[in-house]
Amino acid sequence: MLTRRQFLANSAIGAATLMIWPKLTLAATGSDTRFLFVLLRGGLDGLESVPPYGDPGYPAIRGALALSPSAQEPAHKLDNVFALHPSFDYAAQLYVQGQFMPVVAAAPPYWGRSHFQAQNCVENGTAKPDGAQTGWLNRCIASMPGGEGLACAAVMPLTMRGTAKVETWSPPLPTDVNPILLQRLQPLYAADASLAAPFARAVAQQTDSPVPDNAVKPGADMPADGSGRPRKQKAGGLPVMMGAAGGFMGKVDGPRVAFVEDDGWDTHANEAAIVTRKIAELDAGVRAFHQSIGAMWGRTVVIVATEFGRTAHINGTGGTDHGTGGSMFLAGGALRGGRVAGNWPGIGSGELYQNRDVHATTDFRSVFKGVLAAHLGVAESLLESRVFPDSQGAEALGNLVASGRAAA
Amino acid sequence: MNASGNDVTAAVNRFGLGAKPGELASVHDPRAWLNAQLARGADDGNAFADLPGSLDYLREEAQLQMTRRTFKQGDRGRRAFLLGDMQSASQDGQANAAALKQALKPYRQETRKELLAEAAARYQVTTVSDTPFVERLVRFWSNHFAVSVDKRSARLFAAPMEREAIRPHVTGRFADMLLAVETHPAMLLYLDNVRSVGPNSLLGRRTAMRLARKGDMDQGKAGGLNENLGREAMELHTVGVNAGYTQADVIEFSRALTGWSVPYPRDFANGGQPQSAFVFRANAHEPGARHVMGKTFAAGGLEQGSDILQFLARQPATARHLSLQLAQHFVSDHPPQSLVERMAKSYLEHDTDLAAVYRTLIASPEAWDAEARKFKTPQDFVISSLRAAQIGLDGRPQPVLALLKDLGEPVFNPRSPAGFTDNSANWIDADGLWKRVQAAEALSAYVAQSNHVPLAFAQDILGPLLDEDTAQAIRRAESARQAHATLFASPAFQWRA
Repeated sequence: MLTRRQFLANSAIGAATLMIWPKLTLAATGSDTRFLFVLLRGGLDGLESVPPYGDPGYPAIRGALALSPSAQEPAHKLDNVFALHPSFDYAAQLYVQGQFMPVVAAAPPYWGRSHFQAQNCVENGTAKPDGAQTGWLNRCIASMPGGEGLACAAVMPLTMRGTAKVETWSPPLPTDVNPILLQRLQPLYAADASLAAPFARAVAQQTDSPVPDNAVKPGADMPADGSGRPRKQKAGGLPVMMGAAGGFMGKVDGPRVAFVEDDGWDTHANEAAIVTRKIAELDAGVRAFHQSIGAMWGRTVVIVATEFGRTAHINGTGGTDHGTGGSMFLAGGALRGGRVAGNWPGIGSGELYQNRDVHATTDFRSVFKGVLAAHLGVAESLLESRVFPDSQGAEALGNLVASGRAAA
Repeated sequence: MNASGNDVTAAVNRFGLGAKPGELASVHDPRAWLNAQLARGADDGNAFADLPGSLDYLREEAQLQMTRRTFKQGDRGRRAFLLGDMQSASQDGQANAAALKQALKPYRQETRKELLAEAAARYQVTTVSDTPFVERLVRFWSNHFAVSVDKRSARLFAAPMEREAIRPHVTGRFADMLLAVETHPAMLLYLDNVRSVGPNSLLGRRTAMRLARKGDMDQGKAGGLNENLGREAMELHTVGVNAGYTQADVIEFSRALTGWSVPYPRDFANGGQPQSAFVFRANAHEPGARHVMGKTFAAGGLEQGSDILQFLARQPATARHLSLQLAQHFVSDHPPQSLVERMAKSYLEHDTDLAAVYRTLIASPEAWDAEARKFKTPQDFVISSLRAAQIGLDGRPQPVLALLKDLGEPVFNPRSPAGFTDNSANWIDADGLWKRVQAAEALSAYVAQSNHVPLAFAQDILGPLLDEDTAQAIRRAESARQAHATLFASPAFQWRA
């Protein structure tokens, strides 16, 4: 069929008033669900984000950085072992409603402690940093009938690179573009084989209102993060980006799969202050996403992941170094949450990986596969062969999704 | 298009920073033009003469820290202090905080002024430079040794590192540049080496004993090893990630680097006058011999770490890693293996002399292949626009800084020690192209309304790359400003071809 893109590329700008996302019929997709993947670059500390306050090894190993529900700044108690970092206010509310769930001691299949290699694995969906040149989320979209994705990033991230159609979005510049200039440029770009397609998409995107009215705007006041300092929303910050993602995905014909990324999670020094601020941003991001996706929240699962956990011990600079097992978070109205998932390996003597890191007992891909199969209806055969090649060892986790549907 | 015309545009666009008016016409022998620039080395035209050095910046930071410290009293708990939690602080604490803010204000204003002055000088140099190939190399190495200013403690030092550690060595030996970078405050602060302490060093043992006596289990206070610099120096700066080194090598190298630091605020206190922005703290240095990648380095002080750097700089893996990156930057995302090998050979045969590697690149036919091209990064796009129209910033770089941030390449802020991607495929996407059109409109507003004849201007800047359709579009522009916007936004202008 003639896609809307091709139609737009061939039409004058003034006539291009159609929406950019092709309308997906429920019959074509099996179900109309949404999935957001949030990547926290830098390595979020699992012991700080989901403190195992009930593990007797924890206070000893974390010293002054240890968090607990009974501390002066109480962590949010989840059960008798785990709590959530004090900054997770909104997430803690969702947890009570069964719409939030941490996974503890999780890691990608690569355990080498390099940011870039680990991020490559988290993004390319293999156990090797150079295991694929495309992203697993793109391959997931390619495995869904009529699938289309959105990457909220100024530059296409590896996670979303590949053959499936994915748009990028980031907060626009304030400058207006003269429509006559655009008319002059269109034939020039149409003649450039490498740039024709992205330019046509760029023009098409402008004809749809890119940001929903209720999304968090850059420059707006951020919710209090406990620091007592007022902060403004950053243009590329999680609340703005997740809010925008929710706005796109909340539309009936919006993208079913989206990606948001954030960085600044590499806490080699002065960790307490950094993690407090960053988790407050993530928490505000989840809240902004929930607000802007609206009713579609009930059909949505969000996964938040990072490339590795950090060392169990504090280093010499009040921070932690690159480690192994860390935490993941799931959220959404379609989630079967309100519990802590994963197998806790303990952090007592002899329980650490190489005597330094929290062990990893859950392969990221097991969580991804569980959500992709039950929530997006991606066939198991495609999950093993295409989305996460050579992942037979990482069995899909079951029971993650409340309204699970089999593949269409 | 004739072959020699292509070589000229390649020299000016792909090796250089994009044409200044008259530049394309002035180049008769592209290879000789590039080699002559190498002979001149980095020439900043005195643009940096009035800027403070890293030691000045360290002194300033020390004054700020000491001011802050005088306010660090009261009954706030450690965690509340770390969080800046004023609600749980006492009344005194709140008054204290307001006074502190007031006291710090002049420092913050000064810092902001300095950051802008650094940026203004940097973009001034690139806009007017007559040695654009060398300036591109400076940017290349600056990104190779990326320092990201989202790390607050490093943010005053990223621009000085480029001036102080990279420019002096850009046509010299890589081994010298490497040592200059790894001893620069920017890198030592960015990758957390300043407080990395050998556990068996004098300082490490003393701290451990003191804490044990007090029964203090807070390991955050104890001196400890930090692996960040050691790891990235191997993975990103020298041998590269597939060179076969192990976690044990990283730890050994990091131990050798313990004590590599900068003057602390207390070193400036009480009339203290540190003479260098780099300090080797022998009492924090881990004693003993080190074993890195199969070689043993005898126990020693500063020279132990610098010997390892010299060793790493001369590894064949480093030669290949750097040559591949250079070829990817100057030729294409997937450069011919033959070219990379030739450059790597040159690197090793000339004892890490970078000028020799560049000359090999220039002399290689692969570098002049008609298919060789790169998509301009946002930096390339903005700089080539500034050069084309000779847009002067008059000491106000803010519009350019904002533009680069919005285009996805904020200045000195790649957010990772790996730097910004140098892969063209990663920069080509719908959102980015749209923002370039917006940026072209914005930049055209800064073009002096001189008596440019727009078409002649476009011919001057693009030369044989100006195709008939683009020429037509520029000819039809209703104003000089729209003609400039059309040029900057045209697909022909987006490539380093």
